Amino acid sequence: MVSSDPILRLEGVVKKFGAFTALHGVDLEIREGEFFTIVGPSGSGKSTMIRLLVGMDEVTDGAIWLRDQRIEAMPANLRPTCMVFQSLALFPHMSVGQNIEFPLKLRKVASSARKERALELLDLLRLPRDYYDKRISQCSGGEKQRVALARALAFDPEILFFDEPLSALDYRLRKTLEKELKNLHQRTGKTFVYITHSLEEAMVMSDRIAIMKAGHFEQIAVADEIYGRPVSRFVAEFMGEVNLFEVTSRDGTTLESPCLTVKSGTTNESLPAGGNGLLMVRPEFIRFCGEDESPDYRIKGRLLEEYALGSRIQYEVETETGQILTVEKLRQDRASSGDIGSEVMLGFDAARTHLIKDT
Amino acid sequence: MPASRSTRIVLFVYGLLVIGLLYLPLVSVGFASVSRARYLSFPIKKYSSKWYAEALASGTVRDLLWTSLSVAVIVTILSVIIAFFGALAFARYEWRYRTTFQKLILLPIFFPQTVLGLALLMWFNSLGVIPSWKTAVVAHLVWIAPIATLIVAIRAYSFDPALEEAARDMGASTPTILKEITLPLLMPGLISAGLFAFLLSWGNFPLSLFATGADSTLPEWLYAKMVSGYSPLVPTLGIMSVVASLFLILAAFAIAWLVQTIRDSKAAQ
Amino acid sequence: MQQLNQKLGYLSALPMLAVFAIALFAPLVVVVLFSIMPSKVFSLANMPDFSAYSVFFSQGYYKSLIWSLGMALASTVILLVISWPLAYGMAKVFRKFTLVLTIAVVMSLFVSENIRLFGWVLTLMKGGLIEGHIRAWTGVGFDSPLYGVPIIIFGLVYVYLPFMLFPLAQGISMVPDDARQAAADLGATRWQIFRQIDVPLAAPGIVVGCLLSFVLAAGAVAESKILGGQAVITITDDIETAFTFGQDWPLGSSLSVILIVIIGTLALFGISRVDLDQIMGRKR
Repeated sequence: MVSSDPILRLEGVVKKFGAFTALHGVDLEIREGEFFTIVGPSGSGKSTMIRLLVGMDEVTDGAIWLRDQRIEAMPANLRPTCMVFQSLALFPHMSVGQNIEFPLKLRKVASSARKERALELLDLLRLPRDYYDKRISQCSGGEKQRVALARALAFDPEILFFDEPLSALDYRLRKTLEKELKNLHQRTGKTFVYITHSLEEAMVMSDRIAIMKAGHFEQIAVADEIYGRPVSRFVAEFMGEVNLFEVTSRDGTTLESPCLTVKSGTTNESLPAGGNGLLMVRPEFIRFCGEDESPDYRIKGRLLEEYALGSRIQYEVETETGQILTVEKLRQDRASSGDIGSEVMLGFDAARTHLIKDT
Repeated sequence: MPASRSTRIVLFVYGLLVIGLLYLPLVSVGFASVSRARYLSFPIKKYSSKWYAEALASGTVRDLLWTSLSVAVIVTILSVIIAFFGALAFARYEWRYRTTFQKLILLPIFFPQTVLGLALLMWFNSLGVIPSWKTAVVAHLVWIAPIATLIVAIRAYSFDPALEEAARDMGASTPTILKEITLPLLMPGLISAGLFAFLLSWGNFPLSLFATGADSTLPEWLYAKMVSGYSPLVPTLGIMSVVASLFLILAAFAIAWLVQTIRDSKAAQ
Repeated sequence: MQQLNQKLGYLSALPMLAVFAIALFAPLVVVVLFSIMPSKVFSLANMPDFSAYSVFFSQGYYKSLIWSLGMALASTVILLVISWPLAYGMAKVFRKFTLVLTIAVVMSLFVSENIRLFGWVLTLMKGGLIEGHIRAWTGVGFDSPLYGVPIIIFGLVYVYLPFMLFPLAQGISMVPDDARQAAADLGATRWQIFRQIDVPLAAPGIVVGCLLSFVLAAGAVAESKILGGQAVITITDDIETAFTFGQDWPLGSSLSVILIVIIGTLALFGISRVDLDQIMGRKR
């Protein structure tokens, strides 16, 4: 359903608040029908970004294109896009039905047609039809989410924006709604642009993810790429635990770090002579090796700590050179480790490593 | 650190005592209003409602009430309109001089009312305007509209600005947002502001004293009679004025309760 | 959006500002202009001579001002002491009773101040509610406490109680419970909690409450006239007399200007120190 034509295009978008620059000349293309997520820590500029995209703030410089129309100067109420707010912004003085019909009422749609559409949307979001007359204050957290979605869909926007709408919910409800959102995206075929600080949330739902840091995009890619082939330490560390070896290439053929030497070319990429980089191994790709196993690389260490994370167990291992490595195992594979304080041998394969250049 | 039981009781008794002292003078006025004697002295020997009958029959009293009522009603309407917009400028819109405006709003509240009344008198005189109950409306407004604004502002602070942004995002223009979102959400604040405005205008005398010219409001007349030439009608009219205020407050509460009940029963269906 | 907010801000402030312009600032300018006119003129078309200000000292008007400010100060201090426990109760101890107290105190505000003061006269006068009944029961009467400085201060305390009580209660409610609990947990005594936690955190409420009571009491007149029987003359009383019996507008104006400058300086100093957004509970 995702076409390759961009529906939304940003060119050199700059946003300044007084002396502070929130966005430093950002370029971006979002494709028609895709689920695009912008992820970043607080203060990275993602909220500023979405306010510019929906028209609640003005750009300082640059252009925003919706298909072939320039929209950066168009006020929010004239743009054919709509946002689901972090606080949901449901009108407390209106019923569920009145909330959903609000955008239609603004367009002077006849009341019978409005009601019909509102009921359809209640069906689409799996809310009972008799919720039509309910008051907002009588709805639960999850129901409010669905009403807010229904209202945004009633607007029938070209692009539907989401400003961290799930951040206030408890873990289980959030997980359910993430899946529902993904499902809704597939059923409606609309372009979704989603903002969150949780990369985990982004991974579940998105076609593509943009990682934001200090007012620019660090990396824009599909989820697997972000997880497995991050372009920087920031992106690598953004998603959970990671092991990074600071490596130097002395002659262009080997990568050296205090506890590890890797032949260049056995990793996916190589460094020029004198270049620095980070060699990344995710914790689940490191294993405890017995004598009989022969991984590509071996590191000797001492087991420091063991943490139970539910389905997984996490270990901290200190190498002989003092670097702390993180190893994760599924609970059923627990037996392979030794006692706390004992000597262990760690191993991983070249195919599971990734080289980040120019740290 | 929850207060101990004894602290709780002591404070509660203290609170009751303060309420008692606040209303004690009105008890005296109440007794005085039903005393038959022309010159009051306690304990009251004979009770009578003749002063009430006299007050109700008096043309002067009717004029006083009419003037007070006209001023209060007009002040209420204007104050609520000014306060609606004023509260948005005070609490809602991010504009350059917002904090200055907030401080400006407090100024008339700090101002000695008698001095303000006299200043207005000189100003009207310089303009060649003859003071009447209409100029009193202006005088009341400069003191009451800021108070009404503060009351509405408290309400404006408590609602999420995202509601207005959401409406705008869905295509609503500024007037539509004001009518469909802002006005209904501020309504409880506007109603209490209106109630305050009416009651404060109804009871005010320092501003009326100099701004009404030949017309006289009820508190003004009472003051004149208290300071010189006592009339047995003073306690009677005082009580009537208090009862009128009380009636209005009860009516407001009753209406609020009724609206709530109707809404709840509708929602329950 | 910022631009729209700017525009809407200016527009919606406009009605209020218009009222201020015609009913606050213009009269103030007139007062200032009249205050520099020669004695007993009724028009601004005269040569200014500032003579009205010299009268302030030569004819002893400064005494009235000192009385007014002194009594205002006394009533403010008394109000702070007697309101604190009640405000504390309203903010931290009572539940439903807070609402009852609030309604009771607010409703008393709606009764014209002079009716309530007159009620005190009826209560406290010889042959009034208290003395009359005591004499009837015991046969022993006593002199009325009316017509003196203490009763004027009592009147000020009585009338301006709400203006101290509500800001104080608001201020105290801003003191987080866990801060007090943490202090107690760390071994602070009640007095230390009061000094180190309550007072600093409730400071905005204390400032607003003291400022309001002091300023309103300094400009008060009815208390001294009705309860005090003019035992002392307040500055506002002098201003009123200059305008009415004295028919000397420049004198009244100059006294007004002096009072306004004192009150205005205090008010601006106090107001500039508090964050209204915070006190009134702004979100975001």
